[in-house]
Amino acid sequence: MKWRNRGKLPAVVITIVLLLFLLFPFFVMISTMLKSSEEVYASPPTWIPERLHLSNFITVWSEFELYIFFRSSIIIAVGATIFNTILTVPAAYALARLRFVGRKFTLYLFLVIQMFSPVIVIISLFKIMVGLNLLDTYFSLIIANTVFTIAFTIWMMNGYFKSIPVEIEEAALIDGCSRVQTITRIMIPIAVPGLVTAMIYTFIYAWNEFLFGLTFIHSRPKMPLVLALYNFVGRWSTQWELLTTATFLAIIPVLVLFYVIERRLVAGLAGGAVKE
Amino acid sequence: MKRLKLVLSILIVLLLAAGLAFAGGQKAAEKQTVTFFWAEYDGLTEDYRASLQDAFNAAHPDIDADIVSTDWDLMYDKLTTSIAGGKPPELSVIGTRWLLELMTMDVVDEVTQYLSKSTVDNIAPGAMEAKLKGKLMGLPVAAGARILAYNPNLTTTVPKTMEELREVCLKVNNPPKVYALIMPGKLHTELTDFAYYFYAAGGNFFKMEPDGSYGKCTVNSPEGVKALSFMNKLAQEDKVVQEGYLGLDRMDSHPLFYTGKVAYTFIGAWVESAAKNAGAPFQPKYGQIPPFAGQKQKPLIITDSIAMFKGTNLEAAGTFLDFFYKDEWKAKFDEAIGFPPVTISAGKLPQFQTPLYKILGEAALNAQGWPLIEEWAECSNIIFNAQIEVHLGKKTPQKALDDAAAAIDKLRGK
Amino acid sequence: MADASISLKQKLWNSEARLAYLLLLPAVVVLLTFMFYPIVYVLLMAFYKTNKLSRMVAFVGLRNFTSEMSDPEFWVITGRSMLWTTLAVVTKTLFGMIIALILNVRYTGRKIARMLFIIPWASAVPISSMLWRWVYHPVYGLLNHTLKVTGLWSTPTTWLGYPIPAFIACIWVDIWIGIPFMALVFLAGMQAISEDLYESASLDGVNWWQKFFFITLPGIRHIVLIATLLSCLWTFNDFNTIYILTMGGPAGATDILITRIYQNAFKWLRFDRAAVMAFVTFLILTGLSIIYSRVYFKEERL
Repeated sequence: MKWRNRGKLPAVVITIVLLLFLLFPFFVMISTMLKSSEEVYASPPTWIPERLHLSNFITVWSEFELYIFFRSSIIIAVGATIFNTILTVPAAYALARLRFVGRKFTLYLFLVIQMFSPVIVIISLFKIMVGLNLLDTYFSLIIANTVFTIAFTIWMMNGYFKSIPVEIEEAALIDGCSRVQTITRIMIPIAVPGLVTAMIYTFIYAWNEFLFGLTFIHSRPKMPLVLALYNFVGRWSTQWELLTTATFLAIIPVLVLFYVIERRLVAGLAGGAVKE
Repeated sequence: MKRLKLVLSILIVLLLAAGLAFAGGQKAAEKQTVTFFWAEYDGLTEDYRASLQDAFNAAHPDIDADIVSTDWDLMYDKLTTSIAGGKPPELSVIGTRWLLELMTMDVVDEVTQYLSKSTVDNIAPGAMEAKLKGKLMGLPVAAGARILAYNPNLTTTVPKTMEELREVCLKVNNPPKVYALIMPGKLHTELTDFAYYFYAAGGNFFKMEPDGSYGKCTVNSPEGVKALSFMNKLAQEDKVVQEGYLGLDRMDSHPLFYTGKVAYTFIGAWVESAAKNAGAPFQPKYGQIPPFAGQKQKPLIITDSIAMFKGTNLEAAGTFLDFFYKDEWKAKFDEAIGFPPVTISAGKLPQFQTPLYKILGEAALNAQGWPLIEEWAECSNIIFNAQIEVHLGKKTPQKALDDAAAAIDKLRGK
Repeated sequence: MADASISLKQKLWNSEARLAYLLLLPAVVVLLTFMFYPIVYVLLMAFYKTNKLSRMVAFVGLRNFTSEMSDPEFWVITGRSMLWTTLAVVTKTLFGMIIALILNVRYTGRKIARMLFIIPWASAVPISSMLWRWVYHPVYGLLNHTLKVTGLWSTPTTWLGYPIPAFIACIWVDIWIGIPFMALVFLAGMQAISEDLYESASLDGVNWWQKFFFITLPGIRHIVLIATLLSCLWTFNDFNTIYILTMGGPAGATDILITRIYQNAFKWLRFDRAAVMAFVTFLILTGLSIIYSRVYFKEERL
């Protein structure tokens, strides 16, 4: 395989340089999570711990019961991703392909939502959740996360659908497909990279979301992971070695998910489908 | 036909969603629930919280206690949103100072009426900071005066005045290995360490009116200028303060003390447990925060309370508090967080007779809390920023404090 | 029969429009249910005096606005918010574009590289900010330590202690967190461009620079437009990064509108002031969106 890469050397080199630069805090994180609490405060600080303090993982996982929070975050993130996708795909298709009064206005509407950070609307949103009896439920978080990601996913899919030439669809319609079938059998498969991007975005947003989790959830089993990480941030001091360990564990599912889905991201237009 | 299918499927999805929503929210509401926003004090474990909850629920089958663990930094946000959103908890740990706003919002209730007499009588009179307008509006849960802690390996002098402290610092200071004094220079929520120096100079944040209300801001009084100038001198001229102090708030800087890099620090009751957790290579020793020459000792005291919110199951909440405040639970709580006990009975227990607790007890006798005004959080911010501007060299202490006092008066409409 | 003039009813309600409304219904219903009331409430609140419970007490018209805008601090903060947004978004876009291009090249280990580039985004913003705070720590932080040890900077500044370094420190964290998103979105966009275009260009002897400008960039222009617009909206309102790093300090040097909104609403219970600032934010971001949409819809028609 190596000979194929010879011409790609500059790309590889730049990648490594960029990664070293960008992942600096990540290295700090790894360095810290392997230290004991005393060594965390070594002065001057050390990169390589004197002794690997792997018990941090055990502490974080069983003593602080991180697995409980993993479970709830998975429920919330997967739920939000699914809910978001169900709402987004039809809406984006309509905006991309159909002509109707109020099209631009609807696009703009979705944008307006994004101008309001969760911080600004959280109290009113809380009141709504109370009113709908949704307090302390997973569903409140699934909805909230969907609401705040939908603008991006719709715009993204809108752009993506638009970039697919109309001819493909027209050909299918002529061949006797219904609209719905063109969406499911033709548009979506071609738009997979865009769809995957949208889903990853929603998943990561929901996985890392923090303000709604803090406000809507009371019961410990339902608390999302991010909130659990705050366990290590005390009032008077922060347990860095445990915080970094837990953060590392929290990142892993995202990375794994991304790695698995990444192939879909790259599925480009089948060369032949575009050429006419 | 196809379109119909589409419509139907969408409707089904929406119905399912709605169904889940209401199903998810329904709780069998036969039992009385007591929700308690529980602050995560350093040293308190999840085990303790869980066993307290289980023990209470077992002892009182008709009440369902839900102790909601919340990080201290996030507590205020969570509480504000819950209150503004119309669904406050029965109980919450609060900074006692928050009571003022809560009382203006009229969301908290007087606590004595829900507690048994034995619980109320057992509270140490000195801890009753939450007695506002004659009524006890919050049950004290943690009370601690601030003190001076020092590293006996680096210094043995307990300075009697601020001026003496400065002398000792100049002698002990040996950068970059060892610094003399910790001074947080980065904005954090509490106005420490300025308050320590200000009170030590005999200053008061506000002029007290004859009717007991707070008048104009007097942070720019000679005492204030003296305190701030002194702080700036220590930090900028004498440079006896930890390196990079402007980028370190209280939480960032105290580890420097625990790890033996700094000789002196002003700190609170948590010092002993925090030092142990950080693996301190020494046993800290304690003294009082020294006053300036000619002044009386006046350390700062901070108390946290448990507030009871109107419109909730307060009878049941009272039962919970009676349970919690028995020595069996409350003493363990106090020991874990390292604060002096607020109950008379716990105060007599042997584990609370250490040197640290003795010093804390002495300090509490002369200590003064924050000004009891609603807008204190904002005022605190203004004054802290003024302090930082002085350190950055942007303003003189007098000018910075004058501007701060003016801004505060404007804010309060004085 | 006048068929030259299509009646409004027909325009509004033909079969295509009906399908569109149907498809849009779920999303719009959910959004309106949950966001209509909060947004309207906030915007209205700006014109009222509010109590500590965020209830509107008395209508005061524009008084909140005039009192806020007569404070010079307000203008400084607004200007800083715009500077913050512009710098951050431009940098994120540049970095994102470069990384997307690199990751578009086929070389072994690309899959791992792509996964690694996601890392800054994979962690929650408040947690990443805390981690960066630890990195920036003057004594225990590995940044200054490494700078000293490698000789890159023998007396590095206290990052979060002085106004300009603090601003740089904060904006870098925001950029750092935002880069993977940009790279990902651009990369997804690049996948839609057919390989054949590049191949035939190569045959014609076109170099990589021209390929980028004449094939890649036009191919992803929709994506670039929407990604940068959304990034502007998000960056303008990015509160966690700054608040956790500096709380707006030192002495207000890193305060932007959203941090002020948070402080006023959640720390000081001054909901009316927070609402005014939210309203101003809304106006600024709307203005920005209008400019953008002109470009976007002009592009669409091409």
